[in-house]
Amino acid sequence: MLELLRISKIFGGVQALVDVDFNVKKGEIAGLIGANGAGKTTLFSVITGFHAPTAGSVHFKGENVTGWKPYEICRKGLVRTFQVVRPFPRMTVLRNVAIGKLYGKVRLRDEKRAEREAYEILEFVGLVHKAHVAAAGLTMADRKRLELARSLATEPELLLLDEVLAGLTPAETVEAMNLVREINQRLGITIFMVEHVMKAVVGLCDRIMALHYGCKIAEGTPREIAGNPAVIEAYLGEELEI
Amino acid sequence: MVSRRGLVTGPFGIALLVLALLPRWTSDYHVSVVLDVLMWVAVTESWIILSGYTGYISLGHSAFFGLGAYIMAMTWPQLPFLLGIVLAGVLSSVFALTIGLVVFRVRGPYFVILTLGLTEFILHVVVNLEIKLGGTVGRILMSAPSLATLYYAMLATAAAAVVTAYVVKNSRFGAGLFSLKEDEKAASALGVNTTLQKWAAYGISAFFPGVVGAIMALRHSYIDPYNAFDPMVSFQVIVMAFLGGMEEVEGAVVGAVLLTLVSEALWASYPYYYMIILGVIMIVTVKFMPLGLVAPFKGRLLARAADGSGAGA
Repeated sequence: MLELLRISKIFGGVQALVDVDFNVKKGEIAGLIGANGAGKTTLFSVITGFHAPTAGSVHFKGENVTGWKPYEICRKGLVRTFQVVRPFPRMTVLRNVAIGKLYGKVRLRDEKRAEREAYEILEFVGLVHKAHVAAAGLTMADRKRLELARSLATEPELLLLDEVLAGLTPAETVEAMNLVREINQRLGITIFMVEHVMKAVVGLCDRIMALHYGCKIAEGTPREIAGNPAVIEAYLGEELEI
Repeated sequence: MVSRRGLVTGPFGIALLVLALLPRWTSDYHVSVVLDVLMWVAVTESWIILSGYTGYISLGHSAFFGLGAYIMAMTWPQLPFLLGIVLAGVLSSVFALTIGLVVFRVRGPYFVILTLGLTEFILHVVVNLEIKLGGTVGRILMSAPSLATLYYAMLATAAAAVVTAYVVKNSRFGAGLFSLKEDEKAASALGVNTTLQKWAAYGISAFFPGVVGAIMALRHSYIDPYNAFDPMVSFQVIVMAFLGGMEEVEGAVVGAVLLTLVSEALWASYPYYYMIILGVIMIVTVKFMPLGLVAPFKGRLLARAADGSGAGA
């Protein structure tokens, strides 16, 4: 569904990504791990059109989407969330989600219908009781849910999640993991996720790629990744708790 | 109970009717004061469509006003009045769409300065062209239409501007504008073509100042580049919009009416006091009611209307 061919990205003198190849298959949950500064978010930004790659190409549903604008990629059915969540703070939660319905892949013309369908999504992510609250007033956990809800409203086929679990309490993390699994299984949306919480990555993902200083150092099932010497080397000093 | 639609269209219709009948009741002096008020309503409404809804603060709307004035000066009286003002609006929009290809590459304070600078640039281009072509800088417009004609033209323009600002705000297009005002990056991630949205808003926003400039050129029957491209137009519009509330259609009306009346009372005898008051109003508004005069009242009124219709159904 998503093919990355030898993606490189250079910022000034920093090589953020070096010849990264990866495929995400329809229906799976793929994971992306790596230490801070490994290039995970940069890779997501390249895939969704926020940065043009210095070299290489991005193919989505068989089409070369390299150099497309973020809104064009979104309308094709590929949407991302942001690691530092970016709600529209003065809009209500419902309105935030309705924007996705109005402008995403579905591009609804009817505002009433957009809000009705936005409401259904809020029910799905468990944020319906906050529908009429301004997004600025949400807790961090709820902001993460909103970020998810808004992305879902665009009706994506592939969803890139950039650390949706970071900053959550253990109980919230479990809830959020269940939500991610439901998005994948019930809604049939393919997921590619960046995550630091190893337990979550291992628990959720079918396949994982590990980045280190912009290079792919490993790819495989969670079990293979956890036993991979290069990964252990890169994570040395951090606990690999499974 | 009053429905939301009734709450919106009722007062608007009544105001329109009263304004339409005004020339039958009052003196030319009062008509010309109201003409001034309507002019500011039109320009302020058009300003909020761009700057209020997207957060891109334009300090260059006097450019469109001046452009409209000059288009009228060059086509009058060869072109009929109505055709002339529509042409002024259309060309003003075309001009905005052209520079709109460039100006949105910057944002925040840079956008403000760029729009101000562009107006100054156009002013000097016009001054130099006028000297090259005619030897002088001023133009006199002979045999202007009657005050009543100009008044009705301005009333129609102001009403159209109010309706446009309202329709845009409540449309899908408006939702996109507000989303990019809140967070441009997030909006584009959700499928909003932010470049196209800002560009289109700019084109719409430039139409009304162009029309207004054309009408006012005939009203004053004399223009020169310095009064046509007076940056005070841009400053005053911003104060009016801030005072009333730059995201509110009603706010632009309230701000324009209040400030025009203040200026009418003070401008002739105490022009410097007027400038000081303008500054004070700006500071007080930004500091103590950043959402403007209208927003707090409006929230309450609409909430009540919504409750009412809910109970009735």
